[in-house]
Amino acid sequence: MTDYLEVTVDKFIFRVAKDRLYNEEGVWARLEGGQVRIGLSDFLQQRSGDVAFAEVKPKGTELNFGDEVAVIETIKVDIALSSPVSGEVMKVNPAMEDAPEAINQSPYDEGWLAVIVASDWEADRSNLLDPEAYFARMKVEAENEVKK
Amino acid sequence: MDDSTSETNNRKVVIVPCSGIGKTYGTVSREAAYEITETVRPEETQLVALSLLVLGDEAARAAVAANPAVTIDGCKLACATKMVQESGGEIAQDFAVLDVYRRYKQFKPKGIAELNEGGLQLAQALAGEVAAVVDEIQGGQHG
Repeated sequence: MTDYLEVTVDKFIFRVAKDRLYNEEGVWARLEGGQVRIGLSDFLQQRSGDVAFAEVKPKGTELNFGDEVAVIETIKVDIALSSPVSGEVMKVNPAMEDAPEAINQSPYDEGWLAVIVASDWEADRSNLLDPEAYFARMKVEAENEVKK
Repeated sequence: MDDSTSETNNRKVVIVPCSGIGKTYGTVSREAAYEITETVRPEETQLVALSLLVLGDEAARAAVAANPAVTIDGCKLACATKMVQESGGEIAQDFAVLDVYRRYKQFKPKGIAELNEGGLQLAQALAGEVAAVVDEIQGGQHG
C-alpha cells in the first residue's frame, strides 16, 4: 500500500506518493524491476485541470532524459511532459486512448502514462527529486498558485 | 429565462446550461443551449437560466419541476445538474462539455467572451446531441 505525504492548501488537498521519484515539473518515476513506470503527480494533475486528451509517445520510442514523452490537453492548457527517465517506451497505458480522465481520478495508480525500459536509471535518478524534496517544492508552488 | 416560461404545460424540455463565467467550456454550454432553444428545437425546448434556479426564482423552479430537463455542465462540479435536482426537477439527460469534446476532438474550443470556430462547431455538435434527446422525449417527431 502506497504511503503519501499530504498537504492542504486553501481548499485543495495534494498528495505525494512516497514510493517514487519526481522530476521538477511533477512527472513521477517508479522503478519496477528494470522498468520504470511514469505518470503525473497529484499536484500536476490538479493544477492542469480535467484531461481531455493524452497523447503518449508510442511503444518503441527512444527517449533521453527530459525528452517530451507525452502531451496532455486539459480544459485549461496543453502541456508537454518531459520524461524523467531515458530508455525505450515499452508500454503505453491503454486508458490514455479512451479514458484519459484516469489521470485525474487516479494519478498514482490507474492514471499512469507509460512503462519505459530504462537505459541508465542510476544516472537518471540522480537528477530526480525524492518525495520529500518534491513535496517541499510542490507545497511552495501550490501556495503561490493560491495567491494568484 | 425566455418568454416561453408560461408554456410549461406543453411539457417542453427544459434546457439548463452551466453559468460559469470566464470559462471556455461554460461558454460552449451556453452557446449550445442558445442553439437548441433558438434555432434547432425552439418549439420543443425552453431555456432556464441556472442563476434563476440558484436565486429561487419561482417561475424557473416551476418550469423545472413540471418538465423534463436536459442539463449541460461545463465542468465536473456539475452545478446545472445539481441545481435542477435540488429544485425538484427530473433530469432526462445530463451532458458534460468535456465528454462531448472527447467525441469531437477536431473542434477544439478556445475563447471566453467569444468562442473560436472550433468552439462554435463544438456547441453545434452538442446542440445536435441535445436535439436527439429532446426528440426522444417528445416521441421522435423530428426523427
